[in-house]
Amino acid sequence: MTEIPQFGVRKDIDIDLEKENLVSSSSNVNRKIAFQTSQVSSLVNSSSSSSSTNQFFNRLLINIQVVIFGTKINTLLPFGPLAIVLHYFSNRNGLVFLFSLIGIAPLAERLGYATEQLAFYTGPTVGGLLNATFGNATEMIISICALNNGMIRVVQQSLLGSILSNMLLVLGCAFFSGGIVHKNQVFNKAASVANLGLLLMAVMGLTFPAVLYYTHSEIHFGKSELSLSRFSSCVMLVAYVSHLFFTLKSHKDLHNPDNIESTILHKESGDADKETSNEDEEVLITRWESIIWLGVLTIFISALSGLIVNTIEEASVSTNIPVSFISVVLLPIVGNAAEHASAIMFAVKNKLDITLGVAIGSSTQISMFLIPLSVVVGWIIGKPMDLNFQLFETVTLFITVLIVAFMLQEGTSNYFKGLVLIMCYLIVSASFFVHVDPTGNH
Amino acid sequence: MGSAGENIVLELEEDDLIESTPVIGKIRNFQISRVPSSSIAIASLSSSSSFSLRRASKAIFSSVNTVVFKAKMNVLIPFGPLAIFLHYLTGKHGWVFFFSLIGITPLAERLGYATEQLAFYTGPTVGGLLNATFGNATEMIISIYALKSGMIRVVQQSLLGSILSNMLLVLGCAFFSGGIMHYKKDQFFNKAGVAVNSGLLLMAVMGIMFPAVLHSTHSEVQYGNPELSLSRFSSCIMLVAYASYLVFQLKSHRSLYNPIDEDVEHDSDGTEEEEAPLITQWEAIIWLSLLTILVSILSGFLVDAIQGASESMNMPVAFISVILLPIVGNAAEHASAIMFAIKDKLDITLGVAIGSSTQISMFVIPFCVVVGWIMGEPMDLNFQLFETATLFITVLVVAFMLQDGTANYFKGLMLILCYLIVAASFFLHVDPDDN
Repeated sequence: MTEIPQFGVRKDIDIDLEKENLVSSSSNVNRKIAFQTSQVSSLVNSSSSSSSTNQFFNRLLINIQVVIFGTKINTLLPFGPLAIVLHYFSNRNGLVFLFSLIGIAPLAERLGYATEQLAFYTGPTVGGLLNATFGNATEMIISICALNNGMIRVVQQSLLGSILSNMLLVLGCAFFSGGIVHKNQVFNKAASVANLGLLLMAVMGLTFPAVLYYTHSEIHFGKSELSLSRFSSCVMLVAYVSHLFFTLKSHKDLHNPDNIESTILHKESGDADKETSNEDEEVLITRWESIIWLGVLTIFISALSGLIVNTIEEASVSTNIPVSFISVVLLPIVGNAAEHASAIMFAVKNKLDITLGVAIGSSTQISMFLIPLSVVVGWIIGKPMDLNFQLFETVTLFITVLIVAFMLQEGTSNYFKGLVLIMCYLIVSASFFVHVDPTGNH
Repeated sequence: MGSAGENIVLELEEDDLIESTPVIGKIRNFQISRVPSSSIAIASLSSSSSFSLRRASKAIFSSVNTVVFKAKMNVLIPFGPLAIFLHYLTGKHGWVFFFSLIGITPLAERLGYATEQLAFYTGPTVGGLLNATFGNATEMIISIYALKSGMIRVVQQSLLGSILSNMLLVLGCAFFSGGIMHYKKDQFFNKAGVAVNSGLLLMAVMGIMFPAVLHSTHSEVQYGNPELSLSRFSSCIMLVAYASYLVFQLKSHRSLYNPIDEDVEHDSDGTEEEEAPLITQWEAIIWLSLLTILVSILSGFLVDAIQGASESMNMPVAFISVILLPIVGNAAEHASAIMFAIKDKLDITLGVAIGSSTQISMFVIPFCVVVGWIMGEPMDLNFQLFETATLFITVLVVAFMLQDGTANYFKGLMLILCYLIVAASFFLHVDPDDN
């Protein structure tokens, strides 16, 4: 390939992309981009003079090309700035909400991509830690923005919705698509059972404050469950940290050969990807570049989250949809769009362990890490965020975890299980469509 | 006589703090029926002289030696009399409560030991029955006392706390310690027996849940005392279920409970499984009755001091009944479960922990309801919504964790952390009607 301009490269990338559709962080795309881009960059580097500004511009162009133009989902990028413009120049907050929601999807995806790229440089353990902490960075940022605004119910409901969507919708779609393509699929039970155990413990941590409150059996009415929530959150964080320790250090080989645990933590890293050949995926951007992109994307996501949080109530009023529905169903669908697509893709490729890693691992991370973290952050900034998710939400979570645990416990999947999970999600969303908090929003 | 004494000392050194656990006869090899060496010595003594007085005193001396002085836990025995003193001399209920609590621990442990010794003589089946009935004798005695004083909530909460502590704390500590010792791989245990126990536990949860749900949905019939009648009926059914479980376990399906043989065969070589009984049959029975009387006395003081202790220590009665009482009552089982897990004999550990929970939920609780029926106390299975929900969630979590037949330190850690959450909830819990 002798054409130097990047447009030639982009054509190749487009052709390859047509095979992959919306899925951006797939290893195939990366590999092909890597191949062409490294050729281009070597060509560019060799042909240019060694002046540093030239190099800087070249790196900048390569970066922008790789990160921004590298996937199709980024066509949704303009919605972000559009939302900001609309917010300052008009009063149509419903539209602002919708546009910022759409604008966050590609940013969330790119954030995951940048995290992965950074993970290449830091080795498997720290990489795993990175993925474990920032895997759900979007939800974390939205929650902290909402917490700052004192919208505790939105935080609780959006985190709950993220768990539900991961466990029911993402898993259901993946099982369904995989089951249509391959008749019966098997996966490694051990890792998913460990994660489900953690999820059950999270349910326990969430249930006790709610039950304490609703049986009117606490010592200082209204305050006891806050202290209990804070204590339980610390306990849950300890459990999560030991879970990380357990999977990253001591029982690394436990779940071979499909290595689901390290897959959860290294997303689509090389050792899980066996069909497609020699896998040392190229990193496409340098370490500092990925850190910079992480920072930039975080800032953008925070800006859009701020908009979302500010306009959610007006959007609910203008579209006549309850805030619960928006927080539980709409927000997570958008925030998880990229994970959703990649989970389906891996199921279709018969790599169900990676799918389970993505879906269940993400649920575990939210329930055992993000939720207690928000309680602790609330404690620090003085907001009364607690684990009492109100009776309806708690019961929903409990039943969902039970159903999913039961479905997963035998280690096989087919399209019918996927269909059942999707139907359950429809029932859940319908319930939230007609749900308001009994005493009004906090 | 001297050599017999040495024999006793040698054999006892293996025992130390750990009582031979009051397991429901699953693991112990009840085919052993060797005559203890002390009685051989005593018999030989008696054959040479006919001083019955000397023989009796020697027998008493060796018995006391075996039972009282050879267990390290028995240093705590003086706390018992101290508690009684304090009760009569001062009004410090907090101290009385604590001291009687600490004083009961060694007695409970020795009670289990005496039961075990007696079981050697009675053959496997009756031995299993003995263990099954008296394995939780301490809890039973405390409950009956509390029932007599009309403290129904204390009975319910202490039995619930015993189940919770067995399933979460004891099991968690055992898995954790065993997992740390056998660091690199998982430990295995026999799933089938645990599955039966989980099924029974879930049945117990069902039996406890229906009266509570009936009451809290205000959907019971309005005449008579419906929850009480329902509770009494369910208790009889649960007792029948427990009896059939004993038949299942001890007679017809014994093979189901064979432990997983990893590298070690425990039933046939000369490790601690082949214990000779150390006291004669009659001695065992006498000790059994003696210890029961002592435990009853201390329980009386314990129960009377609960209310006062709660006020003086500023802790809810719920916390004391659910958390403190069982931790102490189960201390010996706790220690032995950990020891067996470290020795990679997880089946025994599970027998102790889950078996004890099953026994309490399917035997002691319904038994208390029936005893209350006889005494005329309105003890029922309506444990109030919070406690019932706690039990339900705990049984589900533990059943799920145990269903794959493996254990590692992380599972143990999770169980312990769950117990912390439960304990914290009870620290902040009072009954809504201000009981």
